[in-house]
Amino acid sequence: MEVPVMENILGSNDKQALQNKEIFDRNGIFVLNLIGSPGSGKTSLLEKTIVSLKNSLKMAVIEGDLFTNKDADRIAGCNVPVIQINTSGGCHLDAMMIKNVIGKLNLAQLDLIIIENVGNLVCPAEFNIGEDNKAVVLSITEGDDKPLKYPLIFKEAATAVLNKIDILSFTNFDMKAARHDITCLNPAVNIIETSCRTDIGIDKWTEWLKNAVQIKQKRINER
Amino acid sequence: MCATCGCSGHGSGTQIQFFVTGYDGDNAKIIEEKLLGLAGVLHVHIHAHDGETTINYDPAKTRLSEITAVFEQKGLQAAI
Ligand SMILES: Nc1nc2c(ncn2[C@@H]2O[C@H](COP(=O)(O)OP(=O)(O)OP(=O)(O)O)[C@@H](O)[C@H]2O)c(=O)[nH]1
Ligand SMILES: [Mg+2]
Repeated sequence: MEVPVMENILGSNDKQALQNKEIFDRNGIFVLNLIGSPGSGKTSLLEKTIVSLKNSLKMAVIEGDLFTNKDADRIAGCNVPVIQINTSGGCHLDAMMIKNVIGKLNLAQLDLIIIENVGNLVCPAEFNIGEDNKAVVLSITEGDDKPLKYPLIFKEAATAVLNKIDILSFTNFDMKAARHDITCLNPAVNIIETSCRTDIGIDKWTEWLKNAVQIKQKRINER
Repeated sequence: MCATCGCSGHGSGTQIQFFVTGYDGDNAKIIEEKLLGLAGVLHVHIHAHDGETTINYDPAKTRLSEITAVFEQKGLQAAI
């Protein structure tokens, strides 16, 4: 029987994402695609992550923004390699944008790359860029209704960070309802409550990340 | 896909509508949550009083048979 060859079964972005992933795998690098609304605290979480993990993991950051180097400047202040991608109005990073910049990093020297996607809870969730995992950052100031209103990213994420819990008491955010909805959408998800202001939960987050890096490196070493 | 920016994402897939017999106050909520737990199901809207059930899902991630199985497991009949 003739087996039909299904060309184009993956879109061109997915093909490029696979190629990026192969490059990251070859170099034993765990890659995290960090997604969340504008201002949810992605860069703040990155700053905390770098402080906590810089001595145990060799890391680099890729920053995605429509315009400006503001986030890259913040990360550069933490003394890790950082590349800024400006999408000039584009609402998400895609796999080709990542391919075009990864040559600037010393990949053989890295354990972890965190890619901060453009602030947007919708489109970035639809584009794989070669990551091992996605994580979503939701600020509790955005409201507990957001998981059901923007379900794809909560389905795709390995970890959901509920950030800014230091100001929980000033909001009407219902933590129990949010956790319930996120778990309904993604029963396997890991939910972590954090504050980048008071450091609550940052240890849980960095522990998860460190563990994910170790699991990947172990898997690659066993090949 | 982001409808306003026109970026070429995969989109949120397919919308399908069922008419379900057998809903009561409790099982509609259970069905909604079970459906949302399927990998490709993004949104579920149930009118328990007349059985109208609208589901947005990605057929690349979840088969229609997995959706109908949720109704069957709860002893409900779903017609398209
Ligand atoms: N109270 C409080 N403020 C926070 C916390 N995390 C971040 N912020 C503040 O929220 C604002 C936005 O934080 P950023 O880290 O820049 O957010 P972002 O998600 O990187 O924003 P974009 O890159 O523009 O999408 C800043 O003023 C932060 O100081 C937190 O846990 N608690
Ligand atoms: Mg930022």
